[in-house]
Amino acid sequence: MKYGAVYVEDVNIGDTLPPLSKGPVQQIQLTRYAGASGDFNPIHQDDAFAKAAGMGGVFAHGMLSMGFVAQSVTDWVGIGRVRRISVRFAALVRLGDVITCHGRVTAKRAAQGRDDPQVDLDLWAENQKGEKVVTGRATVSLPSRG
Amino acid sequence: MPAQLNRAVIGREFAPYAVTVERGKIKEFARAIGDPNPFYLDDRVGAASEWGDIIAPPTFATTFRDDSLDYNAFLRELGTDISRVLHGEQEFELHRPLQPGRTYLCRAKVVDVYEKTGKSGPMAFVVRETIITDAENEIVGTMRGVTVVRL
Repeated sequence: MKYGAVYVEDVNIGDTLPPLSKGPVQQIQLTRYAGASGDFNPIHQDDAFAKAAGMGGVFAHGMLSMGFVAQSVTDWVGIGRVRRISVRFAALVRLGDVITCHGRVTAKRAAQGRDDPQVDLDLWAENQKGEKVVTGRATVSLPSRG
Repeated sequence: MPAQLNRAVIGREFAPYAVTVERGKIKEFARAIGDPNPFYLDDRVGAASEWGDIIAPPTFATTFRDDSLDYNAFLRELGTDISRVLHGEQEFELHRPLQPGRTYLCRAKVVDVYEKTGKSGPMAFVVRETIITDAENEIVGTMRGVTVVRL
């Protein structure tokens, strides 16, 4: 259930998250993300600047892609449960790209003290050609049916 | 031999800076990502939630910038400029959600600078860590970013 409570008892190693497709990425979204995040690097806005910098044209903020990946986690597990999320930006996301975010459960840990049980995830995002643009990991805490 | 970055910045601690989270900024950030989650966007849903208010998405702390810091000057001191840098990696450790109306203190530090040659040529990596504390001086989160510099 989207945004709903996922209980640790219902999660098994190897389970996959519902894939989340985002995009096509458009210039207006990069402009909006610049304003929202405060990252006004012209390499994400100005095609001539990006070409002169040797990047072949404008590309998306890495943090926008990380936002997509984080959304795929919070859509599944609900909000306020991500304890750690880390990513590597493996390839540039270009205008027109459709990004699909994936995740898989890799580990489960029982509750420790006052902390809820935790689950580790492998995360990745691919463009429409199947190329990985983001790889990463997350740790989320999950409630127990007790 | 390619240019090298100024490793003297390793260990540099930037002046701590305070950020007060604005309600509208959380919503603007979620909308920019295209995330319609009502726990970010709807005050009534937030008020009825276990947090008593909307909370920020997991990557929201990326908006915690020090407006008084001249980032271009820092890049010049490093020995590069904005057209040469890429975001390589990012991590957020979150102990509790960030919420509107709260003021957080950020302490940022350059943890490491190292160089290696990748498939697209020589590159340098600048690792920065920012520790975020709340009004009670409890750590609520840590962010670590790796900036890649094309040498």
